[in-house]
Amino acid sequence: MAAHLTRRLLLSVPLLVGISVVVFALLQATPGGPLASGGEGAGTQLSPEQIERMRDAYGLDDPLPVQYLNWAGGMLTGDWGTSLRTGQPVLEVIADRLPTTLLLIGLAFVISLAIAIPVGIVAARRQHSAFDYVATGLSFAGFATPSFWFGLMLLFLFSFTLGWLPSSGLEDLRETHTGLDALWDRVRHLIMPVAVLALVTAASLTRYVRAAMLEVLDQDYVRTARGSGLPERTVVMRHAVKNAAIPVVTVAVLAIPELFLGTAITETIFSLPGIGRLFIESADQRDYPVLLGILMIASLLVVLANVVADVLYALLDPRISHG
Amino acid sequence: MLMKGWRTRAGALATAAALTATLGACGGSSGGGGASTAAETNGGEATAGGDGGGQRGGRLLVAMTDEPGLLNPLFSTEAAADVSRAMVVEPLFQPLADGSYEPFLAAELPTVSRDGRTVTIRLRDDVRWSDGKPFTANDVAFTYSVITDPRSTAAAGSAYGLVRSVRAVDPTTVEVRMRAPNPRYLELFDLVMPEHATGSTTVTTRSPQARLPLGTGPFVYEEWRSGDQVTLRRNDAYWRDPEKPLLDGITFKITPDRQTAVTSFVNGEFDTVFYLANSDLPDVVAAAEGGDPIEVVMKDEPTYGSFLWLNHSEPGDELTPNPVLSDPAVREAIDLALDRRSIIEEVVDGFGEQVGSYIYTGFAAHEIAPAAFDPEQANAVLDEAGWERGADGIRSKDGVRAELDFTTVSGNQSYKLIQQLIQQNLKEIGIDVKLRTDSLTKIFAGYQDGGILANRRYDLMMSLDGFYNDPADYAHVFTSASIPTADNPNGFSYSHLRLPAFDRLVEQAATTVDQEERARLYGETAELFASERISLPLYATHWGWAWSESLKGVTTDAWDGQWANPAIADWSLAR
Repeated sequence: MAAHLTRRLLLSVPLLVGISVVVFALLQATPGGPLASGGEGAGTQLSPEQIERMRDAYGLDDPLPVQYLNWAGGMLTGDWGTSLRTGQPVLEVIADRLPTTLLLIGLAFVISLAIAIPVGIVAARRQHSAFDYVATGLSFAGFATPSFWFGLMLLFLFSFTLGWLPSSGLEDLRETHTGLDALWDRVRHLIMPVAVLALVTAASLTRYVRAAMLEVLDQDYVRTARGSGLPERTVVMRHAVKNAAIPVVTVAVLAIPELFLGTAITETIFSLPGIGRLFIESADQRDYPVLLGILMIASLLVVLANVVADVLYALLDPRISHG
Repeated sequence: MLMKGWRTRAGALATAAALTATLGACGGSSGGGGASTAAETNGGEATAGGDGGGQRGGRLLVAMTDEPGLLNPLFSTEAAADVSRAMVVEPLFQPLADGSYEPFLAAELPTVSRDGRTVTIRLRDDVRWSDGKPFTANDVAFTYSVITDPRSTAAAGSAYGLVRSVRAVDPTTVEVRMRAPNPRYLELFDLVMPEHATGSTTVTTRSPQARLPLGTGPFVYEEWRSGDQVTLRRNDAYWRDPEKPLLDGITFKITPDRQTAVTSFVNGEFDTVFYLANSDLPDVVAAAEGGDPIEVVMKDEPTYGSFLWLNHSEPGDELTPNPVLSDPAVREAIDLALDRRSIIEEVVDGFGEQVGSYIYTGFAAHEIAPAAFDPEQANAVLDEAGWERGADGIRSKDGVRAELDFTTVSGNQSYKLIQQLIQQNLKEIGIDVKLRTDSLTKIFAGYQDGGILANRRYDLMMSLDGFYNDPADYAHVFTSASIPTADNPNGFSYSHLRLPAFDRLVEQAATTVDQEERARLYGETAELFASERISLPLYATHWGWAWSESLKGVTTDAWDGQWANPAIADWSLAR
C-alpha cells in the first residue's frame, strides 16, 4: 500500500509539470495583456513610457521560456511571483482568499453528502415509489439548473423580496454580534451561497448513491442475507450500504475539485472574498501570476483528489490490493 | 491627475455594465416616461438634506462594484482608486464646473513667469498629514522625484511631461520649471506623497504607499481586506476643521455584482453606491418614486459620451486606407443614417443627450449641432458617390462591398441593443454590418499583446470617452503620433488616421499657455473632427447620484458628483 501510494505521488510530479507548461503556454496565447487598461476611455491608458517601465519591471519582455523557468523556479522555492495588479505576493493573495473558499466547499460537501446518502438509499430501497420519483425529479432539476440563475433567484426571493437573508458578504457590517448571535449571523450569510454551491453536487451524488444501491441490492449476497432472516435494516445498512459506498466514495472525492470550480459563480453573486472570484477577476485583468497560482492549486487539488480516491477505493474494497 | 480621476470612470461604467448583462433579467424595471419626469424634477446641481450642522458619529456603508488593484490613484488607472481622491488624498488645485481651478492645498493660484516656463506655487502653512506631520514643499518636490524615478511605476498624467525640475524653495514655496510653456500646470500635484512615510523615491506597485496612501484628507485608511471590504476612519487631525468629518468611518463593501449592489442599496442594505452606472438609473429612480427612502439627484449635463469609432485604415494594415470608410461619402451617409434619438429613448431610457462635437465638456467645450437623422439624404449621398445597390440591397463600388465589422465591449446589454439599432439603420442605406463583441482586455490590449484597437482589427468600434476638463490627452489620441505601429507599439488610437492639419493644431495647443487661445485651437480641432468625421459621437450620458435618506448633508459637484472632497467631511448619518 505504501509503495503504491509513493508510486502514485511520484507519478503526479511529471503530470503537474506537464500541466504547468500547458497552462503557462495557454495563458500566454490568450489575446489581451495585463497592462491593457483600467477601463474604457483614452484616459485609462498608460503613456508609452509608463507601459515600457511596467513591462520592464515585470519582465514581460523576456523570452517565454525564460519567463516560464523564472516562474517555475520560483514556484519550487515558495515564491509564486507578484500580482501585476496589486503588487502583493501571489501566495499572500491566495492565502487571504482561501479560508472563505474552504469554508464554502467544506460546508457544501458535507451538506451534499448529508442529503445524497439518505435520499439515495431510501430512493433505491423503494424504487418506483412516489419518494423515488420525487427524489429523481428533484435531482434532475438540480442537475439542470444553472447555478448562477439559481443563485439570483434565491437572492431575489429571500433577500430582495422577503428580506429574510442578507445579500452579500459573510457578516453584518452594520452591527457587531457576539456569541451565539455572531454564529447565527454567520449562518444567515452562508445559507444561500452554500445552497447554490451544494445544489449540483447534492443532485449528482444522490443519483450515484441510488444507482450504486440498486446494483448492490440486486446481488446474490443481499438475497442470501435476506433469506437468512436478517432484519431488513441490517441487510441494507451492514451489507448493502458498505458495498455501495465503494463507487460513491470515488465520485464524492472527485466532487471536491468540481465544488472548487463552482465557487467562482457563488462568490461573485454573493460578494464573498474567495478564490473563485479572485480567479475571474484575475482572468479579466490578465493578472498572469495570480491566474497561474490558482490554476496550479486547482490542478494539485484534482491530482490529489484522484490519489485519495484511489487509496480509499483500495481501503474499502479488500479485493483490490496494491502489493 | 484629477483628469485621470474623471476619465477613468468610463471604465467603471463599462465594467459595471458588463456584469449587469448576465443579470439583466433580475431586479425591477421602470417605464422611461416616469424616469425622465424624476430627472427633471431633481435636475441640476442640488443639495439634499442640507440641514446645516449634522450630528457626529456613525459609520457609512457603501457598495463598491469594482475593486481596484491599488488604492493610490498615482499608481492605478482604475476608476475605483478614486475613492482615495474623495476621502484621503488632496490636490494642490481643484477644478470647478467651468473648467477653472481654485487653490486647495495651495494658498493661492500660482504665479507664472512671462515666458510660461517657471511656475511658483505657494502652499498653505496649516496643512498636516493625517499622522500629524506638517505638509511642506519638500513633499511636493519628493512626489516629483517619485514620478521621475526610472524604477518607480507611477502612472502620472501627461502634464508632467513638460516639467524639467521641481524645487522646494522654502517650506511653503515650490518652484516648477518647464521645458516648454506648459498650459496644464494646474493639473500638476493633484496628489502629493508624504516624504516621511514613503522613504525611497522608488515606489512600485509593491510599496505600501501605492496600495494604501497616507494623505491630508478627512479620512484615513484603516484596513483593506482584499475582495471583501475597505475601511476608513475619520482623520482626527483634519487640518481644515478638527470638528470634521462628521462621520466616524466609512466601509466600502466590495459587491462585484452590480445588479446586487444596486438592489441591495435600494433595499436599505447599503447607504449608497460608489458610482451608479447610467444603466442603474431607471431602477433607482423607479425605487425613489415608489417611496423607497432614497434621495436621487440627476445631473442634466453631458458626462461620458458614447462614440462610434471609425477605423480609417485597412483592418490589420496600417498603410492601406479602409476600403469602405475612407470614402468621405460613406462616413457622411453613416452619420446621417444613425437614429440617435431612438438610441437615447429606447436604450438609455432618456438619460442622455445628443452631442455633435467630440469636445463637449470642460474649458474648451465647443458646441457643434448634432447630425440630423436623414436616411433619404444618406441614400442620396451614397448614390451620388457611386455606391450602387446589389440584388441583396447592399451597396458596392468598384468591386468593394459596403460591409463593415462592428465590435464593442462585451457583456453590456445596452451596447448590444445599440449595435442592433445601428445595424438596422445602416441596412436601410445599403451597408451590411456584422456584429460582434469582445472583452475589454482584448479590445484595449497593446500592440504586442494583440489588442483589437491597436492592431486595427475592426471597422467600427463603440465605447465611452470624452468627459474631460482639459481635452489635451484626448485630442492627442487622434493624432498621427498616437497610431500604434511596430515602431510605436504603445500608441493608442481610435481612428488610425493621419491628418496633418489636426496634428498641427493639437501640437500647438499643447504648449499654448493662454487658455482662451488654447480653447480656440481645440475648437478648431473639433470643427475638423466633425467635418472629416474622424469618429461619430452617438450621445452623451447623463449622470445620477443616489443615497439613503438617513445620509444627510450630501452635495454634488460638477466633476465628481457626490464623491467630492471636502464636501464629504459634511456628510452625517441620522438613523
